[in-house]
Amino acid sequence: MTSRIKDENAIKGMYQQMLHLENYIRHETNIEPPLKHIVKLRASQINGCAYCMAMHTEEALKDGDRVDRLSLISAWEESADWFTPREQAALMWTETLTRISTDKVSDELYNRVREEFSEKDLADLTLLIITINGWNRIAIPFHTPPSHFEVPIEQGAVAD
Amino acid sequence: MTSRLEDLAATRDIAQQLRKLEIYIRNETTIEPKLNHLVKMRASQINGCAHCLMLHAEEALKDGEQVDRLSLLSAWQEAADWFTPREQAALVWTEALTNISSTHVSDEMYASVREQFSEKELADLTLSIIAINGWNRINVPFATPAHHFEVPVPEAVAS
Repeated sequence: MTSRIKDENAIKGMYQQMLHLENYIRHETNIEPPLKHIVKLRASQINGCAYCMAMHTEEALKDGDRVDRLSLISAWEESADWFTPREQAALMWTETLTRISTDKVSDELYNRVREEFSEKDLADLTLLIITINGWNRIAIPFHTPPSHFEVPIEQGAVAD
Repeated sequence: MTSRLEDLAATRDIAQQLRKLEIYIRNETTIEPKLNHLVKMRASQINGCAHCLMLHAEEALKDGEQVDRLSLLSAWQEAADWFTPREQAALVWTEALTNISSTHVSDEMYASVREQFSEKELADLTLSIIAINGWNRINVPFATPAHHFEVPVPEAVAS
């Protein structure tokens, strides 16, 4: 796959705006990097963004997450004990918001998620989900190609 | 409907972040306001955001849009001659990107949309679609209520 963009300068202005959102999330919120990567991976799985999945898998591993955990995120409900209650709540919120056109945000879901996130933290998590949904809507239609990466050395194929 | 938020200021910062995108679109792109409203409304129809539909209907009318055109927007393909080729391309792009999890942007679609938008314009239009998809994902889950409004006298006529 090669990019559909012929002139990289054409996307600079738009790209810059997206980076502002990322900077806010990184510097002005309480969202932990491991949680952030899981959210970004789950939304990218739903939307089908190869570039985003490769990038955030690599970043999650760099931040210390594990290949085994990342490998089953798309079926996380079947292995919920691998994820903290806060991560589970974030994954539910991610799935429902990403599928907002077909999913309803029930009072039950809202209350469940609010047990793990303050209103402010939930607002910030929402912006994180909006941002990755945005990147997905750039990388998929413009055909941004994914990059190969290696598993970081400290997580080499060493079994317990 | 009342907001689910106990503290309405909880979303103030994230709204501020999204507003920066809107300011960029308004001041630093060639996306026409009327076309922008159609895009915002079509995405909000797909995502089911009452607050956003109300807001952009009112703004579109203020910018000189016609009620009859807005009334059939969700079936625009059945009345394609009511919309310019550029508006049609924008609506195709809006629907494809809003429904990105179930659609694929084919080479054919990409090429047809590019006939109406330069690469820069298409990137900027994409950002506008991202922004309204974002507003939808704030206002639906936090249950932002919609407000009634009167059909405004278009500003061009009023002045």
